[in-house]
Amino acid sequence: MSRFNKQYTGVYPILLLLLLVVTLLSIRYGAVEISLQEIYTSIRNWFTSSESMTLNERIFMEIRLPRAILCVVVGASLAVGGALMQSLFRNPIVEPGLVGTSSGAAFGAALYFVLGSAFQIPTAGEWALPIAACLGGIVATFLVFILAKSKHTGKSSIVALLLTGIAINALFISGVGFMSYMARDPQARSITFWTLGTLSGANWHSVLIVGLTSVVCISLALKYTKHLNALMIGEEEAQFIGINIKRLKLTILLINVVMVAVATAFTGVISFIGLIVPHLLRIM
Amino acid sequence: MNKYILGATLAIGLASCGRFGNKEEDQQVKGERIVSVSKQHSEIMYALGAEKNLVAVDISSTYPPAIKKLPTVGYHRALSLEGLLAAKPTLILHDGHSSIGPDHVVSQLKQLDIPMKEFSVKASTLDSTILLMREIGSYFGKEKQADSLCRILDADMKLAMEQAKAYQHKPKVLVIHFGQASNVYLVVTKKNTGAKMVEWAGGTMAVDDPKAMKQLSAEVVAKSDPDVILLTDFGYDRLKGSSDKISELPGVSSTKAFKNGHIYRVEEHDLIYFGPRTGKNVLALQKLIHPDEQVQ
Repeated sequence: MSRFNKQYTGVYPILLLLLLVVTLLSIRYGAVEISLQEIYTSIRNWFTSSESMTLNERIFMEIRLPRAILCVVVGASLAVGGALMQSLFRNPIVEPGLVGTSSGAAFGAALYFVLGSAFQIPTAGEWALPIAACLGGIVATFLVFILAKSKHTGKSSIVALLLTGIAINALFISGVGFMSYMARDPQARSITFWTLGTLSGANWHSVLIVGLTSVVCISLALKYTKHLNALMIGEEEAQFIGINIKRLKLTILLINVVMVAVATAFTGVISFIGLIVPHLLRIM
Repeated sequence: MNKYILGATLAIGLASCGRFGNKEEDQQVKGERIVSVSKQHSEIMYALGAEKNLVAVDISSTYPPAIKKLPTVGYHRALSLEGLLAAKPTLILHDGHSSIGPDHVVSQLKQLDIPMKEFSVKASTLDSTILLMREIGSYFGKEKQADSLCRILDADMKLAMEQAKAYQHKPKVLVIHFGQASNVYLVVTKKNTGAKMVEWAGGTMAVDDPKAMKQLSAEVVAKSDPDVILLTDFGYDRLKGSSDKISELPGVSSTKAFKNGHIYRVEEHDLIYFGPRTGKNVLALQKLIHPDEQVQ
């Protein structure tokens, strides 16, 4: 998490503008033709009387706009999660999924798809799936953390965390595979959709939840920039300059698991963003 | 060099935006715009001559051939919301919430108050198929056509049942759907609609399971040792029907069906659901699975 390089300061407004343009394009164009006029009236009607909205206006306001916003928010969460993990593990090829969060969440979701109705879980309505996924992500991450702890020192070394993460990941991905093998056709399809990652289920509830978690977690993460930069020099070196490594690791992992598990719970597993965005920004 | 690549990528990106231009269709059907996401309903609508307002179907609706001219909205269990709404439906016909998906698309359709209709009869038996044809017929005001379809189906089935009695031998039939994927086969079981048709045609099913379709390994396929193997169109066409390629399918080559050359192609829409042509399909199936004993 390096500081901004002054040489590239001018690039940031351009990137921001680009994000805005791409977002606007994505809400303007789609399989259903929605004119600029309809976009304008839908926003106006949204604040006044939502009952008198036409179908196209509702498609825009209830389907397309939340989808675009969720996309931006999830992208930001995964990117910051990736930067956190890469700094924590001092490894450039780490992404949030590596400590088991995404695969754990995917397993939680698969378990819900296949066995949810069989166990007659008191239905939490549309929240049941996100909760199951979130729990799966948290369980997997803490499993990694516990298993990676060395008996002799009581500390978890970064290499041990990384290796355990990969092992747990493999285990949970096999679990997802087994679930989709057992599942009936519609369930198997839901699992496939979910492991591919999709934003098409977005609504204002998901935007609100993912948005709030992201804002809180990202602002917390930014507070730890200096600590993580110090950690980049080396674990022991960081300890010498007075950083509580054990607490730092736990905090960063916690921020990451909450942020990624919540995002993954609503959109499914989206990979690569967490890996590549920190690298792209590091160039600058 | 990189600049050129970037430029070219941008140009391609911008050019492809034309795809999303959504030019209004020239041909506007007046009144209702129906999207059918059930292959069974689509076929019955065509048979009744009630297809006038049908504007789009799901990708599994493949009969009659004329239906392929209609735009498709994806597979009925993997629908895309905007793809569906781009057809501007005033009514979506489906056969139950368990057969349409994904869930979030169904809830979005409900949220947008898109009218959806599910006929009360689920045609999983011959009697219920007749009821369904009558229900769809009366919905579209085509009662007479529905009556005649039911009479034809009845007559064909009577003939088929009569002929089935004459067959001495009941061949064991294995139906492989979609062919081989890595090393497993999706096999139709006794619980499937197709199984009933095989039984009416005077055969027995080689595989049973609580699920209507089951993924089986090559070993189990070999062990079931069927007399006849039916491959649905997609899987068969991928092998181009060549016996060399069929012989390479693990498990299949050691069966009696392969040794005696009794591996045939069936159209998915002839076997997987009941409809107005079921009687004729059973008659065709009889000839297919009893190649050695033809009834006069």
